[in-house]
Amino acid sequence: MIDTPYAIGVLLAMGAVTFGLRALPFLAARWLQHHPLVQRMGRFLPLAIMTLLLVHTLVGSARDNPHGPWAELAAAATAMTLQWAKRQPLLSILVGTALYVLLRNS
Amino acid sequence: MAEVSKASFRSVLALSVPVAMGYIPLGAVFGFLFVQAGAPWWLAMASSIIVYAGAAQFMMVPMLAAGLPVATIAIATLVVNLRHVFYGLSLLHKLPRSPWARGYLVFALTDETYSVLTTLPEHTPAAHRVAVAMLNQSWWLLGTLLGALIGAQAQVTLVGLDFALAALFAVLAVEQWRSAHSGRPIWVALLSYGVAHWLMPQQALLIAIGLSVLVAIALSTAGPQEGKP
Repeated sequence: MIDTPYAIGVLLAMGAVTFGLRALPFLAARWLQHHPLVQRMGRFLPLAIMTLLLVHTLVGSARDNPHGPWAELAAAATAMTLQWAKRQPLLSILVGTALYVLLRNS
Repeated sequence: MAEVSKASFRSVLALSVPVAMGYIPLGAVFGFLFVQAGAPWWLAMASSIIVYAGAAQFMMVPMLAAGLPVATIAIATLVVNLRHVFYGLSLLHKLPRSPWARGYLVFALTDETYSVLTTLPEHTPAAHRVAVAMLNQSWWLLGTLLGALIGAQAQVTLVGLDFALAALFAVLAVEQWRSAHSGRPIWVALLSYGVAHWLMPQQALLIAIGLSVLVAIALSTAGPQEGKP
């Protein structure tokens, strides 16, 4: 069971951070628009961070899977190929997850 | 005036429909996973009201279940939502005057709402911009509620259902890749993760993010031409 006061604290902190990030450009517009480092980081980091989140979740799933990382790799590759070809996030997520559930429960 | 307004409100509604198609099922997956992880349904709703950031809310589920410190989760949220810093830049002159409407639009600036707001025509009334943002959040809330209610009923958990999270990250990575100027961030990320996992498997994600940020800074200060479109 998740402890309620702790969970509410986490939600408030996350809400504050998210709102702060979304509000920052309106407060620091001039600085952000003219700082080349910020712009280059903005092009580089999103792809790097998404890759990291993906790899980290896959590694976590594979650790709990006694049959090795093949199911994780197959399901992730399927979701990515589908997304690349069809551009339908929901379809890619559903098919990838269904394949993984199937592989794990068979 | 009223007729023009009505017509443009219909186009606002039309733009919100594809968001509903994504937000209701994804919100349901979030509500389901969060309740299955041990949270009551109303906490799932509170999360979609207060935090309202898809990827960060998904990321939060395993972290809350593991009881990680509030500061750690706040830093992770900062990293996952860092991209939102760049959204406001293209909306600087499109915000309504009223401070409440302004504040809500900034709060509700998710990936999807951002893309809808940037596609709205220049003369769209402020009230309609706020309406589309509120409509989008209500789809997300509706999905969360449905998922939380289903999750509270479901007794048997299928092994591997939480792979939806990995699949979501896979989809987002593909979309980032499509719009990226080079594949270099992928290699930097993979190498960073390899090093971080070898150093400290428990803190691999945090260390890998730190390493990637350092490499990004080094690359962009060393080569001014780097990353130019």
